[in-house]
Amino acid sequence: MTHGQSTIRNEVQFWRILVFVILLGLVFTLFIVRLFILQVVQTADWTAKAEENSTEEINIPSLRGVIYDRNGAVLAENEATYNVVITAANLPDDDGAIQEIFRQLSHLIGVPVNLNEISVDNPYVPCISEHGIAQIAEYGESSTPYQPVAVKCDVDRRIAMIIQEKSVDWPGVGIEIQALREYPTGSLTANLVGFLGPVPAALEEFYVDQGLVPNRDKVGYAGIEYQYQDVLAGVNGRRLVQTDVAGQELRDVQPPIPPRPGLSMRLTIDSRLQHAAEDILRTELNDWNRYFGDLRYTSGVVVAANPKTGEILAMVSYPSYENNRMAKIIPAYYYNQLINDPSNPLLNHAVGDVLPAGSVFKLTTGVGALNEGVVTPDQIISTPPELEVTERYYVNDPGQARKFVDWNKAGFGHLDFVHGLANSSNVYFYKLGGGYQNEVPNGGLGICRLKTYAAGLGYGEAAGIYLPDEEDGLLPDPTWKRITHSESWSSGDTYIASVGQGYVLATPVQVLYSAMIVANDGKFVQPTLIREVLDSNGDVVPMWRNPEGDLVREPTPGSFQVSPFEPHVKWDLTVDPIIQEFGETTIRGCEPILGQTKTVQPWVFKVIQEGMRLAVTSGTLEKPFQNSPVLAAGKTGTAEYCDKYANALNKCIPGNWPSHAWTVSYAPYDNPEIAVVVYVYNGQEGSSVAGPIVRRVLEAYFELKNIDSGAVQTP
Amino acid sequence: MRSGVSIASNWRYFDFWLLGAVILLIIFGVTMIRSAVAGNIELAELDLVQRQLIFALAGLVLMIAVAAIDYRLWASISRPMYVITIFFLAVLYIVGSALYGSARWFDTGVILIQPSEIAKIVLIMVLADFFTRHMEKMGNLTWIGRSFLVTMGITIWILLQPNLSTSIVMLVLWFSMLWVSGLRIRHLLMFILAGIFLPLIAFRFMVDYQQRRVLNFLFPDPNASYGEIYNIQQALIAIGSGGLLGQGYGHGTQVQLRFLKVRWSDFIFSAMAQEFGFVGVVVVLAIIVFVILRCLRAARLASDSFGALLAYGVATMIAFQAVVNIGVNLNLMPATGLTLPFVSYGGSSLLSILIGIGLVQSVILRHRQLEF
Repeated sequence: MTHGQSTIRNEVQFWRILVFVILLGLVFTLFIVRLFILQVVQTADWTAKAEENSTEEINIPSLRGVIYDRNGAVLAENEATYNVVITAANLPDDDGAIQEIFRQLSHLIGVPVNLNEISVDNPYVPCISEHGIAQIAEYGESSTPYQPVAVKCDVDRRIAMIIQEKSVDWPGVGIEIQALREYPTGSLTANLVGFLGPVPAALEEFYVDQGLVPNRDKVGYAGIEYQYQDVLAGVNGRRLVQTDVAGQELRDVQPPIPPRPGLSMRLTIDSRLQHAAEDILRTELNDWNRYFGDLRYTSGVVVAANPKTGEILAMVSYPSYENNRMAKIIPAYYYNQLINDPSNPLLNHAVGDVLPAGSVFKLTTGVGALNEGVVTPDQIISTPPELEVTERYYVNDPGQARKFVDWNKAGFGHLDFVHGLANSSNVYFYKLGGGYQNEVPNGGLGICRLKTYAAGLGYGEAAGIYLPDEEDGLLPDPTWKRITHSESWSSGDTYIASVGQGYVLATPVQVLYSAMIVANDGKFVQPTLIREVLDSNGDVVPMWRNPEGDLVREPTPGSFQVSPFEPHVKWDLTVDPIIQEFGETTIRGCEPILGQTKTVQPWVFKVIQEGMRLAVTSGTLEKPFQNSPVLAAGKTGTAEYCDKYANALNKCIPGNWPSHAWTVSYAPYDNPEIAVVVYVYNGQEGSSVAGPIVRRVLEAYFELKNIDSGAVQTP
Repeated sequence: MRSGVSIASNWRYFDFWLLGAVILLIIFGVTMIRSAVAGNIELAELDLVQRQLIFALAGLVLMIAVAAIDYRLWASISRPMYVITIFFLAVLYIVGSALYGSARWFDTGVILIQPSEIAKIVLIMVLADFFTRHMEKMGNLTWIGRSFLVTMGITIWILLQPNLSTSIVMLVLWFSMLWVSGLRIRHLLMFILAGIFLPLIAFRFMVDYQQRRVLNFLFPDPNASYGEIYNIQQALIAIGSGGLLGQGYGHGTQVQLRFLKVRWSDFIFSAMAQEFGFVGVVVVLAIIVFVILRCLRAARLASDSFGALLAYGVATMIAFQAVVNIGVNLNLMPATGLTLPFVSYGGSSLLSILIGIGLVQSVILRHRQLEF
């Protein structure tokens, strides 16, 4: 039987099995080659990917330093805020239980259980976007089940406590404590202290390199917060952890680097004096406005400093803004409101506004004229109501007659130096600055020498008070005018520069510096806002300021100690030869003689001091200082201006421009310990508007001093 | 009877090498499953290790039992088995789709049984019987067509489940056994050409969504199926980071931190590769190849064509599943749901494959004695 035969014989051809074996061999050889490539040749790449998979870097925020005033009053601190968070992985397994928790939580915190699905168009933004609890929890579960996501931010302490107590009943629901910046003194010190904001997109790379996390960490946007961001911020900590596929942290891969808290700063500001100065400025301006029935005086500046140490005791720039409103986010409507305000509340006007200085600049002309022998203190000069001078643009210019008027329309008759200064006679200082016939020959002090003396008194360059808004001001000279105005310097330009008008521009603090230098017999002590830098234990951290202006931990060549505070003499005009000698001073330009510099003779400052004292006893400040117990010396200024706002109101009438009010003063006149400058925008008259404010600030200072010394009982 | 005496069972011929290799693979698998489920509470609760061990022991007992039964019995009852299998698959399909939409499992109350795994063994028996009886006609296209219809009688129900990967295993079994039963070379070439062009022709007659499915299967859109790409990527990371000697048992980050998906079954090869490295994986590959070769040895030594085809069919089943599974792990093939024989977690598949080994042992126990 063929059929039977075939069933009992193995008729499978062996070569066909062999083909199968060969095919199998080829495939497995391919597998082994592939395995060799993956596991031996490329193993380093794949191992790196495996590590990348399972390691995660966690950035631990550092605590920002606190800012104190000189007496330890807090100007900026960190306040704990409570955010309600959900960790999806810790929620119960049972959907009903979850719903019950959400329902109770919703009742407590007022966030609905279901609201607005999270989508690309309506993304989840912690603390800002509005979504229901269930939507946020679902988002957390799908993206980062082991990371808490915020359901509601900044709940009050009581609710936070309730939720913390419920944590056993409500697994997965918790409280996250976040530090928020708070400014107890608010708008009083906002222009000085500044505020924080999110890491700006343009600087994201820079800050990320420093270890900051965008959208979480904040950086200084203004004032001290901006200027000393590096000092205050500290250094964020770092953990490298192994995580599983769901993102749960398992262990530290490396020893964690703990965050280094930021350093704290004690400023030189006395917040009580700051408060008094702000109050005095505001009430004075309001009183005047009420008197006029018109919002005439809108902004002003008060700065008080110790001329011997350079410490700034108060710095008020009014109006200010509420920096606490910027704590969480910077509200757009509020920010726009500040930006569009003509008085520019965001600017620290004390250091950032460049203004015509007016008659307070006569201190400079005076110092220069006396030291250069343009005039002697006893020399009597005639001071008619107005001066008619031929204005020349070049040496042989036949010129045009131009009238220069005194503020006192009656004229002063004849004045010696101290009375010229005390009465702030314009004609007197025109003659000193620009020369007049045979009375003050050779063109007077001239613009070139005026500039070098002004620089010596702190004008024309930022002195390094280190605030972000700090400006240089402007000291013009013939070269500058030709470059910027395509015009030659005229003799008339020198006349008006001599009284601080025309092209001369200064910041309020620069006006203060000039008075501090005079009061301190020619010594310019570095103005400063920092008394101490403190670590988190409250111990003083020694710090120096290097020539680049940065704070450093070790002294370097050219650096000076900043913390703990020690007065640093920037220069002494009677010792350091920094006054430049000029060759034949021509109308074309200033030609300094290289290597020839000189000092200011000490008696010059005595004469200026005498003139400033005389201004208080029988000059322009006599009325504001009537019956004052403070023995002050001072100088007023009424600086004509014409800016875009005045122009828009058609107030720029030639010969009758609006004017800023200035007064700078120091006390006691024989042993100065405080100098104050007051500037009021559009304040019209220095002596009547700024003078009384200066007087009251000085009196407030001495009152506080008496309280501190125990001479007067605090009420 | 002369023939009965000459091929009587003789336990002297029991293939202990094959048994040893199979046990080694199972031990490897259980060890790896234990490492793969560590740290995963849900899987640990299911206790996959214990289940796999129980299935392995049951399977080995079954294997001995099957080995003891004369394999020629299966030839005589292959037709009833064929009918019963189709009946169960059809019932599963009709009842399952009515109740659950689709179903692949029979819930017996104690364990879940996956009939498609048993169906593979039944198909091997049925085809071995069919080809043995019609071997001389395998040069004839009509008979090739008949063998195909026999195959499709079972496969169609699995395809309807739908379980494409098992269906492909069935077709591969058919084709491989057809080849060894004497497929002509020119028919082979014809099949290869048809394998290339037929789908293209058929494609034109498909409706829109069917075309899309086919295209998606053949050319997976990397954007559309991020999940699959992710899994394969994690598998490659696991394999590559294993290096020469591996990260050590229980220390593979991809395995222990659960970046590798279905690491106890579909991707157990990658899990082994990370923890035991190149050396460990090559050893496992070598044992698998050894098992296949031992099955082929039985096919060669078998005393009749039926026995040879049985052993050869089991070898094909093991080889094809292993090749596809490893190919997927190494990203040389599109992802499918085939498990690694003996090693991957899965009760039904372990049972059916051990029954297959039992058949091979039965064949070798009764092979033609060369010494008279």
